This record gives sequence, structure tokens and C-alpha cells, in this order.
Amino acid sequence: MRWACILLPQLALDSVLRGRADPDAALALISGTPQRRVLQTVNPAARALGLRPGQSLGAAQALSRDFAMLEYDPARIERAQQFLAAWAYRFSSHVSLHYPRCLLLEVESSLGLFGPWPRFEARLRDELNALGFRQRIVVAPNPAAARMLANVHDGLAVDAAGLAEALGRMPIERVGFTREVASAFARMGVRQLQQVRNLPRESLAKRFPQDVLRHLDTLLGERPLALRCYAPPDRFDVRIELNFEVESHQALLFPLRRLTGDLAAFLAGRDSGVQRFTLHLEHRSGEDSSLPVGLLAAEREAAMLFELARGRLEQLQVPAPVQAMRLVARDLPAFVPQHRELFDERPQQSLPWEQLRERLRARLGDDAVLGLGAVADHRPERAWQAAPVARSETLQQEAPRPAWLLREAQPLREFAPRILAGPERIESGWWDGGDVRRDYYRVETRGGQRAWAYRRVGDDGPLQLHGWFA
Amino acid sequence: MNHTHAASPPAYAELHCLSNFSFQRGASSAQELFERARQHGYAALAITDECSLAGIVRAWQAAKKTELALIVGSEMQLEDGPKIILLAEDLAGYQRLCGLISVARRRAKKGSYRLLREDFEEPLDGLLALWPAQGETPHADGRWLRERFPERLWLAVELHRGPDDARRLAQLLALATDLGIPAVASGDVHMHARGRRALQDCMSAIRHHLPVAEAGHRLFPNGERHLRRREELAGLYPAELLEETLRIAARCRFDLGQLRYQYPRELVPEGHTPTTWLRHLAEKNIPWRWPLGIPDKARKNLEHELKLIAELEYESYFLTVHDIVQFARNERILCQGRGSAANSTLCFVLGITELDPANSNLLFERFLSKERNEPPDIDVDFEHERREEVIQYVFRRYGRTRAALTAVASTYHGAGAVRDVAKALGLPADQINALADCCGRWSGELPPEERLREAGFDPQSPIMRRVLALTGELIGFPRHLSQHPGGFVISEQPLHSLVPVENAAMAGRSIIQWDKDDLDLVGLLKVDILALGMLSALRRCFDLVERYRGTRWELATLPPNDKPTYDMISRADTVGVFQIESRAQMAMLPRLRPKEFYDLVIEVAIVRPGPIQGDMVHPYLRRRNGEEEVTYPSEELVPVFERTLGVPLFQEQVMQLAIVAAKYTPGEADQLRRSMAAWKRHGGLEPHRAKLMERMTRRGYPAEFVARIFEQIKGFGSYGFPESHAASFALLTYASCWLKCHEPAAFACALINSWPMGFYNPDQVLQDARRHCIATHPVDVRHSDWDCSLEPDAGDQPAIRLGLRMIRGLAEDAGRRVEAARAVGPFADVADLVRRAALDARARERLADAGALRGLAGHRHRARWAIAGVENQAPLFAGLPSQEEIQVALPLPSVGEDLHADYATLSTTLGPHPLSLLRSVLRNRRCRSSRELPGIEHGKHIGLAGLVIGRQRPQTASGVVFVTLEDEFGMVNVVVWHDLAERQRKVLVGAQLMQVDGRLESQNGVRHLIARRLIDLTPLLTGLDVRSRDFR
Repeated sequence: MRWACILLPQLALDSVLRGRADPDAALALISGTPQRRVLQTVNPAARALGLRPGQSLGAAQALSRDFAMLEYDPARIERAQQFLAAWAYRFSSHVSLHYPRCLLLEVESSLGLFGPWPRFEARLRDELNALGFRQRIVVAPNPAAARMLANVHDGLAVDAAGLAEALGRMPIERVGFTREVASAFARMGVRQLQQVRNLPRESLAKRFPQDVLRHLDTLLGERPLALRCYAPPDRFDVRIELNFEVESHQALLFPLRRLTGDLAAFLAGRDSGVQRFTLHLEHRSGEDSSLPVGLLAAEREAAMLFELARGRLEQLQVPAPVQAMRLVARDLPAFVPQHRELFDERPQQSLPWEQLRERLRARLGDDAVLGLGAVADHRPERAWQAAPVARSETLQQEAPRPAWLLREAQPLREFAPRILAGPERIESGWWDGGDVRRDYYRVETRGGQRAWAYRRVGDDGPLQLHGWFA
Repeated sequence: MNHTHAASPPAYAELHCLSNFSFQRGASSAQELFERARQHGYAALAITDECSLAGIVRAWQAAKKTELALIVGSEMQLEDGPKIILLAEDLAGYQRLCGLISVARRRAKKGSYRLLREDFEEPLDGLLALWPAQGETPHADGRWLRERFPERLWLAVELHRGPDDARRLAQLLALATDLGIPAVASGDVHMHARGRRALQDCMSAIRHHLPVAEAGHRLFPNGERHLRRREELAGLYPAELLEETLRIAARCRFDLGQLRYQYPRELVPEGHTPTTWLRHLAEKNIPWRWPLGIPDKARKNLEHELKLIAELEYESYFLTVHDIVQFARNERILCQGRGSAANSTLCFVLGITELDPANSNLLFERFLSKERNEPPDIDVDFEHERREEVIQYVFRRYGRTRAALTAVASTYHGAGAVRDVAKALGLPADQINALADCCGRWSGELPPEERLREAGFDPQSPIMRRVLALTGELIGFPRHLSQHPGGFVISEQPLHSLVPVENAAMAGRSIIQWDKDDLDLVGLLKVDILALGMLSALRRCFDLVERYRGTRWELATLPPNDKPTYDMISRADTVGVFQIESRAQMAMLPRLRPKEFYDLVIEVAIVRPGPIQGDMVHPYLRRRNGEEEVTYPSEELVPVFERTLGVPLFQEQVMQLAIVAAKYTPGEADQLRRSMAAWKRHGGLEPHRAKLMERMTRRGYPAEFVARIFEQIKGFGSYGFPESHAASFALLTYASCWLKCHEPAAFACALINSWPMGFYNPDQVLQDARRHCIATHPVDVRHSDWDCSLEPDAGDQPAIRLGLRMIRGLAEDAGRRVEAARAVGPFADVADLVRRAALDARARERLADAGALRGLAGHRHRARWAIAGVENQAPLFAGLPSQEEIQVALPLPSVGEDLHADYATLSTTLGPHPLSLLRSVLRNRRCRSSRELPGIEHGKHIGLAGLVIGRQRPQTASGVVFVTLEDEFGMVNVVVWHDLAERQRKVLVGAQLMQVDGRLESQNGVRHLIARRLIDLTPLLTGLDVRSRDFR
């Protein structure tokens, strides 16, 4: 077997830079606690400014202010790694992410298709460069050796005969020993792996933990390395090509029913639900139309998924004939079924609130369905606002407040209403520029309506009507 | 509601008001509150901080200043009951209040309190209770309180324009009637004026760790909780409720001036009075200090001092300090007192100071004086590693109820304030850090706009304007109470009858709620028990010399006026000595050329912000070197400035000047002293500027002279360093210099054993010792103790054997076990060492890497291999030689590797200095060495390279950075001007090994290199661990 190790020395940085329009501008990825922010990685432009990984942000800013900062995000790195594994999966059915920041590929069996090796290697590099990932590639008879050799080599290909010598020249701190072991060797004057091999095994066994000799054997291929193979991801992504170009919504409903049905089956199989999925409509030319469908709670009932997707689809102006339809669902949380009474007492026509809300949203659009959101703020116009429906919150009010608050206050058209209570003074909101200073009164109009009205502190003008009590 | 407006508004006393000592709640200082209450014509003002009297002394001061009555009280929330406000009616009530607060505070962890219903089962006479009736069970609460405060309970009606004040008022009045208690108006005041609303919201947000925008109902709905005008109150409250405030105020007759503090009595034995006992102790000690009999002058001073002390009744204070010092002496802990009273003949006799007033030609008029009404002030420094023993002794001797540490009310500085405000306004973490960086760390001022723009902020944006405005208000506010480093208050009565006592953060300690300024005002006396590293080093040095030579030196017995010592000082050969070892001090020494003790006093005091800001240093130097005529501003000032050649250098001189030239009364001078210490915090110096200017110019002094004096006064304020302290320090300076001069090996050894302390690290101290031809021997388990020690050497000076303490990461107990095991018998081999000293893997590795096993296993590589092979043998086989192993060949460490390992493990090397290994490379780069400098003429351009061992940006020098370079021969000072520092910031900040091309300035033996270009040579060092000391 021959193993290629593709080391991604700048994975964190590349995964950011490939998405940036100006990859040559100085950039540093920052991590650490709010008290001590440190530079995790820097790109060459930033390095030229004197920035170094491990520097504190303060020290870096003392050197220069002309660099962009971005949070170092392990999740993004993980995604990039998964993405690359999926990419590599095309070249070998034996891909492993055993080591971080690194892809291992068994290439012997792929040489027939992509070989010989130099051509294969060139192709890997071309594609990685195009994708925007820097790489070091080494081929060796076993994955551990390939990985360690990649620490100091790039473009090296060794066979079984040359392996021992290549490894022997490796510096001791780069061959994958723990830091303690490597420094213990260094402190004994042992600098290269060859020197370790020259020491008596029993003396080594006496002085070092067991895995030192085991690792040595693994490197030399005398012990196999247990690798977990990469498997393609758990997500739903199914595409249906239509036999002819379709323009009417009606004709799209059939494939839609199939896709949502398949999705429901898939979800049932892995006992999860879906919270969000995207419908892609592919056209002959131009970009796909994509149609995100979001749910408030995880669902997996085929009919409901179909209903929701249909509701969205029917609102869409299809810009061009559709050639294919694809449904992608990544957000697959665990499904928690609702408890039902043994004897369901709900009338046939009624829908549970969640379903009703979803149906309303699907039909009328997200903006049309609003809830009353309570915000802890002394200013009435901030305290309760129309907000996208979220999980139901209870309104907490200590003071009596009108149920109907006008969007904007208007002069109260009555000269001297009867004052029931007040003034209640509200002075708040200086922090966002929306400071208010008002004296509120509860008043009764001649018509017997109860209103909530205010006057600005220090103002003599008419009362401003701000709401009605029920 | 009473809407009739009388011609003049009704009288009112505010009975519920928080100051900013209710941390993160009260948004105004007592001063602001009293001024505003005075303006509004209030009859009295209560300060009722939450379960605290920490701010009450300041309130008392403000009350006196505004001539408005202060009512002492406190607001408290019972953990299992209602919230109440307690007011002290008389002294007994005040003492109960202190007791309650102490109980509640000591029950909880630092900064919080737990008050329980059971605490109210004690008698509560003398305390009046106001009850805002906020709980959910008002009737039950009311009845419970009525039982505990019969005829002394009021229902506090607090109206703040809430949703329906009229209804609330009616409900409360009905409740009061039901319970049969009177109702009274009060304000729940959190700020002096409505304008503090934003700050108050901001503080609430800070308290809840939330941004203001998310604090919601945790904020007050409006700004009504301020001191409202009486007209306004008349519109809100029925007249009876307002009148009731006056009845309560009239009942509260307690004044802080009624407090009587008593010294502990147990120090005076039966049959003696404090006066006779103090004399007895003095007489008893005279033969110890003067074996040949007391000189007449000393006797005269002593009598004078004893008489004065008796008149002022300060005997107990001196007895207290003496008792503490006596304990230290018995435990052989070196100590030294300082302060105005410390440098007296009496303190010398009692052993409080080692400075014989006769040996210093100081004029100690300032000892104590009747007119000045200043309490005696003695700080005692102890060995830094053993101060805790002294503190624990004080607690043992007097008990935790009678002895406590004083508090420090930590106040908001610029950076802290801007940090909290920016957080409250929701700025992201990185921006908060950047903003804080714009403020100097301890600066009490807002960051300059320029600085903000540089950091990428727009000072004019609305958010930044809010941040800056609020920060400006918050700066100087107290933030929390912390523990004073060593200020003790000791009293005859339990302290909690004087002031509330809290737990300190450190277990086994209590602190009182007042800080040291407060103590002065109330007449409590404190003793400062401080820690000083140099005392540890000096005691160790005396021990080493005694062991090696058999001579026991004491601070007081070192030969005075030693010429070789002063010659050494004049050469600035002062690495490691006390106070005069810094870069700035060393640059001064060859110019000042000290010849006698008083010169050292000046030297210690001169390189400080006071004289520097007042631009007094250069005139003094010129006069001393005869380059300028010694003149005096006037004849009357000759006695004041004679000892400093007509130049004001000391805080005391400025005070005397105020008295002599501006005709200050002793009382005014004392005020000046206080404002001087506090102006950064509270301002208050400006009136003095006007006063000094007016009076002195009228008496014929030039305005320019007065202005300069005033600048100096401001400098003293930040870093006051009076002559009396300088004199005590100078004694330690002299002692350390004498030892460095005559016992350099012992001195270096003692310094290293006392590290961390001082300006230089062990590596630098050792480099210096070797430059003085002291032999140094490496760490070796066959010879090294835990500490560095002395070994006989060919010459007069012993050699220094490095101790195991030098090994980085080696635990002290492991090192001590090696020492103990070797005392039993020498080690046969590595296995024997490991077994007998019970060394774990980590300790073995440290020893091997440090080269300490050279005698047992050979070079480092072999040692490391050998110790890795030692197996933990079963006791059965103990002592048997271990099984023979095949010998393996390991490479010999190279010189570079050894150097690298030396620095990595010992932070120093006894091998060649890194620069000597690089010397040929440096010579090719045309770099000179520090040894060549004396032969190079002034003004010449040279290149020089060295390890960067210090970077300093003094606040007094605008933008200049001082860099200290070290090579194998010594140190060189480099001056990097602002422009270059900006241009080559990267090299300046980053280089460990630096080449500097520049111009040599050489005058009076002081040499500086003025940098023109900096080059980073760090790559030449690859991997050397050379740690720089950076100073902000």
C-alpha cells in the first residue's frame, strides 16, 4: 500500500482567505479569552508587519493597526476539513482524517485511474490550489510515516526500501513523539530518529513509556496504524431531473411530493426531524432559484413537509423553465414527538397552533405573522413591539399598561379629560439616543373611553395620546 | 394631596440617601449631596449607605464644610425579612449600628452581607428605624418591626412619580394607621441631581453585569431619586409627612466627634503609667545603644521628646510600636521604622529605627508638634518574607476584635472606569480593551482625543461621547473596599464599637471599613507594618558574613562614613543595592558624587517626580558642583533650604516654606499636606495655588518661583516622598552599599537568596559579581544547598556556590531533601541520590538538565540518561547496586547547547556570556563592547550590541524610551528618542539582542548612547532564553 499525506499547513487561514476578495491584505485570526486575546494565525502580509502567532492582540496593535481581524473559529476549520475529505473521496475510497489539519489517502489502488503518481500528485495540487488550500504532499508506505515526513518534506515519495533512511534523518521533535518524550530525548543529546534506533530497545523500554517503541514500530511499518475511515456525511441531498422543462407550479408538485416524501422517509430512518431545508430549481442558464423553507420546530411528517414546501413554492415567481429540482436538508435535529391524548379531543377542522402558524407564514409570508414581543424597557414604545413570532413569552408588566399602544403618539383631541391617575414619570433610554422624558396620565374621555396620554416633562402643550385601555 | 403653596416651602430633612460608597448604586459623592442639600435648604441629611459606614467620615467632612447636620445611618435588606433604614440617635445607637453591620458583613464573604432576623433580638436602643414597606407581607413585617423598635419605627413613604402615586400614598397611610405607627416622607436618594440619571443607570447595569440596553426593569423608570427641591416635595407629600422628618432629625444627636479611641492598656504593667513605663523602657535600653554612656545631646533630645509625648498623650502609640518591633527582634526579623516620628532619639533607643539621629546631620524639627495637631506617623518595614509572622503576632496579641487592618477604598482610575462604562454601553470586548489601553493604567484622567483617534475611535460619535462623559463622572468614585497592605488599627475596646469590621479576602484577617485618611480625621492611630525585600537580603547577608567570618554586623553598628563605600557609589557601581540601583539613579550618582550620609538622603529623594516636575534637580546639581552660586529666594528661607543648597527638594521644605514665606498657620500647612496627598483624587489644590501666589508675591517673591514651587507640590502629591522617609531608606542604602563594597560575595549571595526583589534578577547580580572577580561555582548536588552559599576561595572573598533554588521548576521541598540527605552522607551515585532524597521524576529531570548531577553522572546528556534509568526499587533491594546496563554513547553537549540549557534551567550561566560567544561576529559588524567605551571620546558615532535587559518609558520623559543593553563586560544605557522609537517600534519592542548605532555621550563618567538606528540581531541567539524586563 502507498499512502499520501496531504498536510494543510494553513487550513484555518485558507478556509477564511478563500472567501475573501482581498486575500493579500494583512489578516490575523484571533482567539483567547476577552481578557487576553492572542493572534492564532497570520497571513504573509500580516507577518510582514511583524505580527506573529501567539502574540497578544495588544502587542500586535502596538506594532500596527493596518490589519484585519477575524475570530479563529474551530467550527469553520472542521467544515473545511470535512469539505476536503469529501473532495478527496473522489480520488480514493480510503480517506482518513486521523490527524488534524491533514488528509490521508490510500493511493496505490487509485493509481490505475489517476496515475502514475507524479501526474496524480500534480492533479491533487492543481485542484487544491484552485480551491485555495495550501498543501504539502508526501507519499510513504504507511500513513504514519507519510504524516511525519510531511512535517519536513514536500513532494517526497519514498518506497519501503528508502523509508528507514528517510525517517532516520528526521529531527526528533518532528516525528510525532509527545512533547515530553521529544524534549527528554533532546536533553539526552538525541537529535535524530536514527540515534534512537541505535539505542538498545530494552534500555529505551526502561526509560520511556511503552508507546515510544510502539510509535517507532508504527513509523517503520512494523505495526499497523488503526485508521478510522471517512464516511460521506449524514445529510439529505437528492436531485430529481425532470424529463422536460417545466414552467407551471402545478407540474412541479409531483416531483416536490416525491422529494418531500423521500426526505420524510430518510428522516424516519435516522430518527430525526428537519428544521430547515432548501429547494433548488435548476434552470438551463442562469443561477438556480433557491427556496429556503424554515420551520419553527423539527418536523418529519410527509404531508406537512409537502404542504409547507408547496406554500412557499406557490409564492415564487419562477424566472425561467425548470430542468431539475433538488432538495438539500442539512439541519436534521432529533425529532421530539408531541404527546397526544388517547382520545384526541380536537375537532377535525382545528390545527395545532404551531401548524397553523406555519401554514399562515407559508401562505402569507414571514412578515405577515407577528407576535407581541415584550422587551424589558421602561419606554413604552420599546417595551412591547410587534416582533417575528418566537416561542411564546409572557408579558410581564408591573404597572398598568394599555393593550393597544399606538404606533406613534398623536395629540389627544380632547381639551380637559378627566385624570384618573398620574403623572407617572418615565425617563429612560439615553443610551441609544432615544431618551424620553414624559409624564403619563390615565385619563377618561367624555365618551367614557380610557386612554393613556403623556406630556413631555417641562412641556405645557396638549396631552399626547399613546394608547387605549381595553 | 396638598397643593397649596406657602410663601416659603416647608422644611425638610432627607433621611434615606445613598452616597457612592453604596458601590455601583449611589451616583454622587457625599460632598455633592451635601452641597446640593444645602442649596435646597434642607434641615439635615442622612447618609444611609447599604450596610456600610465606609463613606461616613467623608460625609462627616462634607457636613462640616457645608454646615449642614449629618445623620449617620445605614440601609439594610434583611435576608429573611424587610428592608429597613436605621438611623443612629446617639453614641449607643451608633455602636449598635456598627455591631449589626459587623455581624452581617462577617457572616458573608467579602463585599456582601447577610443580615438575619435573629440579629434584631439584641437590644436596639438608640437606633431609629424607617421602613419603606416594600415586602409582600407588610402587616406582618410591620408588626415584627414595631416590637423591636417600640416608639422608634416609622413607615417611610417614598414617592417617585410611579404609576399611581396617589393610590400608593393612600395605601401606605392606611397601613400606618392600621399598625399605629407614624409615617414620614423620605426620598430613597441615589444621586444629588437628576443629571446623574445616566451614570446611575450605568452603575446599575455594571452591578448586574449587563449592558444598559438589556438591564430593562433593573433600571429605575425615572430620575426622581435625587435631592428634590422642597417646593416639589410639598406638591407630592402631605405636610405632616414632611414635618415628621424634622422631628426625627432633631432626635438624631449623634456626631462622629463623640467617638473616643483608646490605646490598648495591657502594654503597661501594674504599677506603671504609660509615661513612667515608656521612660523605664528608654532608660533600660540606653546601655544597649550607648555602651559608653549616652551623649549629652542625645540625652537632651530624649528628654525633650518624652516631655512632648507626655503632653500629647501619645505614649501608648510608641509602646505599641515598640512591642511589635520587640517581637520582630526576638524572632530575628530585621525591621526599620520610618516617618516623621520614627527618626527620633526615642525611636532609636527603643529599637524602632536603626538610624542614630546623631549620625545624620538632619534637622528633625518635624518630630511632633503641639500646634500642628498631627498624629505621630511611624511605618515599620519588615523582611518581606516574614512580615506575615508579624501580622499574625498582632492578631494573636490583641485578638481579631481589637486589631484589624485598615481598608483602602479602591477608586476608579481611567482605564477601569472606561472599561466598565464601555461594557455597560455594550461595546465589544476588543474595543473595550483598545479603549482601556488609551488610558494610562493609573491615570485619573480621560484619554486624550488624539490617542483615541490613533486607536481608531471617533471621539465625536454619539456613543463615544456618552462613554467619555460617563467615564469622566465615574473616575475617582470608590469601587470597592480592599485591604491596606499593612496598616493596623489596634484599640482597647472592641473595634466594632468604633467602626464596622469586615472579613478580608485573606482568611484570618479582618478589616475595618475606613481607610487611612478617615482614621486621621476621627483620631484613630495606625501602625503600618510593611514588607521590604532589601531587609530580607540584609539579614541574610549579616547571617552569611557571621557564619563565614564570625563577625556579626547590625544596621546600627556598620562603620559610618566609609570612604571606599562612597567611592564605589560615586562610580555608580551599585547593581543590587537599595534604592540607588535604577538606571536613572545610576546616571545621577557620578554627577552627585555622594560623600556623606546626608548626600544619600538627597540621592534617594531626588530622582522622583516631585523634584523632577519642579525642575529642581539640575539647579541642585549645578550648585553642588560649584557651577552656580548658592542663593536663597529670601533671607527668611535660608534655614529652610540651607541643607539643600537653596533648592527645595523635600516635601517638608515646601511645608516650611508655606509657613515661613506665605505665612501659613500650622493648621493651614496641615491642610496643604492633606490636599497634596489627595489632589489627584479630589482636587482641592487650586485654592492653595491662589493663596500661595497672592501671599508670596505680596511679600516680594517672584511669581515664576511660586509657580515652580506649585508644580513641585503637585509632583509630591502623586509620589510624596518626604525627607523623614528618605532618611530611613538612606540608612538601608548605606548598609547595602557597605556590604556590597566590603562583602560583595555575601551580598550577591543574599540578594539571590531573597529574590524576587529589587531591580535586577539573579543572572544580572551574578554577572556583576563575576565582573568584581568573585568566583562562582555551578549547581552540584554534591555541594549545593537549597540557597546559594559561600565557599572558601583563594583570595579574601569567598566564592559563591549556586544553590538548588536557581533551578527553574525544582520544588523547594525536593531541594531541601537533597540538602538533608547529603548531610547524612555523600551520594554514591544517581540511584542513591534519587532514593535517599525521594526525588520524583520531575525533580530528577530538573536536576539532570541543570547540570547538577555532573559529579555523579557526567555531562547533562549522560545525567538525563542515567536518571531516566533509575527504577523505583522495592525497599528490599535498597542499597544494592543496580543491575549493570550496557553503556551507551551519547554526544557531548556543545558550548552553545550548554549555554542554551543553562539559561533554560538556571536563567543564568557560569560559562561564557552569550555575547562573548558572538563577539567575533559582532566585531565583524563593527560593534564595540561596553569595556571599550571609557576610551571613546564624547560625541563619537559607534555601533554597540547587547542583550536587551530593560526597556523603560518614564512618565516624566515625553515619549523617550530608555533601553539597557548588557554584554559580557557590563551594561550600557541607550536613549531612543520618540521619533526613532515610533519608526523602529518593531525592533524596539521585539529584539532580544539589539545592535544600536548612535552617538556616544560621555560626561562626568556617565555614558549614554543616543540611538540613530536599531538593528534586531535576535536570530544570532536562536533559542536562548533571555528574559527582558519590560516596564510600561
